[in-house]
Amino acid sequence: MVPNSTMVNSTVVLRAYKDGLHLIIKPHLSIAEVEVAIQQEISRMNRSLAGATVQIDLKSPTLNDEEIDYLRSKLRENYDLIVRGVDLGDDSASPPIAAAPTTHTISQRADVPSTREGEPSRVVPYTIRSGQIEEFPQGSLIIYGDVNSGGEVRAGGDIVVLGTLRGSARAGTNGRLSAVIIAMDFAPLQLQIGNCVNRSTANQESRGYPEIARIGEENVIIIEKFVKF
Amino acid sequence: MGKVIVVTSGKGGVGKTTSAANLGTALALLGKSVVLVDADVGLRNLDIVMGLESRVVYTSMDVIEKECELNKALVRDRRVNGLMLLAASQKNNKDDMQPEHMKAICDNLRTTYDFILVDSPAGIERGFRNASAGADEAIVVTTPDVSAIRDADRIIGLLQNAEIEPINLVINRFSPQLVGNGSMMDQADVLDILNIDLIGVVPEDSGVITSTNRGIPLVYEDGSPGAQAYMRIARRLTGQRIPIPDLEQKGLFSSLLNWFTKNR
Ligand SMILES: Nc1ncnc2c1ncn2[C@@H]1O[C@H](COP(=O)(O)OP(=O)(O)O)[C@@H](O)[C@H]1O
Ligand SMILES: [Mg+2]
Repeated sequence: MVPNSTMVNSTVVLRAYKDGLHLIIKPHLSIAEVEVAIQQEISRMNRSLAGATVQIDLKSPTLNDEEIDYLRSKLRENYDLIVRGVDLGDDSASPPIAAAPTTHTISQRADVPSTREGEPSRVVPYTIRSGQIEEFPQGSLIIYGDVNSGGEVRAGGDIVVLGTLRGSARAGTNGRLSAVIIAMDFAPLQLQIGNCVNRSTANQESRGYPEIARIGEENVIIIEKFVKF
Repeated sequence: MGKVIVVTSGKGGVGKTTSAANLGTALALLGKSVVLVDADVGLRNLDIVMGLESRVVYTSMDVIEKECELNKALVRDRRVNGLMLLAASQKNNKDDMQPEHMKAICDNLRTTYDFILVDSPAGIERGFRNASAGADEAIVVTTPDVSAIRDADRIIGLLQNAEIEPINLVINRFSPQLVGNGSMMDQADVLDILNIDLIGVVPEDSGVITSTNRGIPLVYEDGSPGAQAYMRIARRLTGQRIPIPDLEQKGLFSSLLNWFTKNR
């Protein structure tokens, strides 16, 4: 897997966490550098962020109040992004990277398993290529390879891709809404969990770390950094 | 016993015929005996790219219909020793040929020649199945763009299902400049997706077009970058170990670029 160089070196990183978008700005940058980096990072997203709110996380207090105000107005003017808060990074409050998965309160059909306990799983020791479909309605799928663009995996339960997910993944086809999709590199064309399809989560670019997709509040699929099960 | 190698891609226009013609000629220049088989029934253009169209009398269809012996249908290339062409019929269409027919032809040729290169038509249907029916190995040609790579991926899956192995990748029409300015995928990105062995990278070379028009394969033009790339691939096919040069010119190009951006 080739790390995305633009990401590794980024001085500004835009990330989606459970509480919304965060714009993380590394220390020791001039306001001009920050502006350029923001422009690059946002154009890298390949999708409109218009109307979204964003939290600015400063790794240390590098920008002064005036500069932060300037950024706030620039983000609104140029990208229609609303700054909902600024974390100055000078206290110990760490950004919520490893937000623990919370339990969901979505009602589930009575005849459907609510946990993965006892569910069988199947190991697929190869890459799923374009035009190929790998299906395991009885339980979970573990792919020792990639799922390429044009390929599809469908599992009754969870899907774990120990490579890059570029194609389509449908988890929880047995109706279990706690089903998850995990990939070491997450760049899917399409995701579905149970009956939840979420347009906005599709076509995201790989962020270079493992991510997990699951159903969050309001039946929306959320994707976040995968830390542990 | 010779090797039958199908040259295929999924997508059309990525350089299958160009690669078959040049690799066949290059292998013959290296002293191997070679038959180029055009499996693009109904379209037939390998003979034109080879400049042999005026000498084609019989086609593989005539062999299948027992109108003539296989040996008699082979057109000898007079520019180099040991290079033959089996042309495809223009009158027929793909459905007139069965995979068994192609397999029988390949099995026959394998007993006499070192390399049999089969130029496959585009697509994943009948034409591809015919072309790959007699193959021991495959060369998948792709250009570094998303749609060609996706089709190549599809073909690789089908070749793997047919247990054709090894499957080697040729990246064609590669442009270091376009990679340098970020508008073309680099080698690593392509390999990351396709995950098969790379046997060579052929640069974008305007000489290909003129050589196609003149019916003289590019490999005769020693100095051209495309010719050198095809000669290296041919050597690798004969088992020689030759490193794949870094066409991306990271050294020169991006260090210059860095220098300019830094010193402004
Ligand atoms: N390396 C290259 N540089 C420039 N043009 C090329 C190169 N390879 C192929 N071409 C051109 O691309 C076109 C399609 O090539 P061809 O070999 O006929 O593809 P295919 O057999 O896969 O359909 C031709 O016009 C050919 O001259
Ligand atoms: Mg062709």
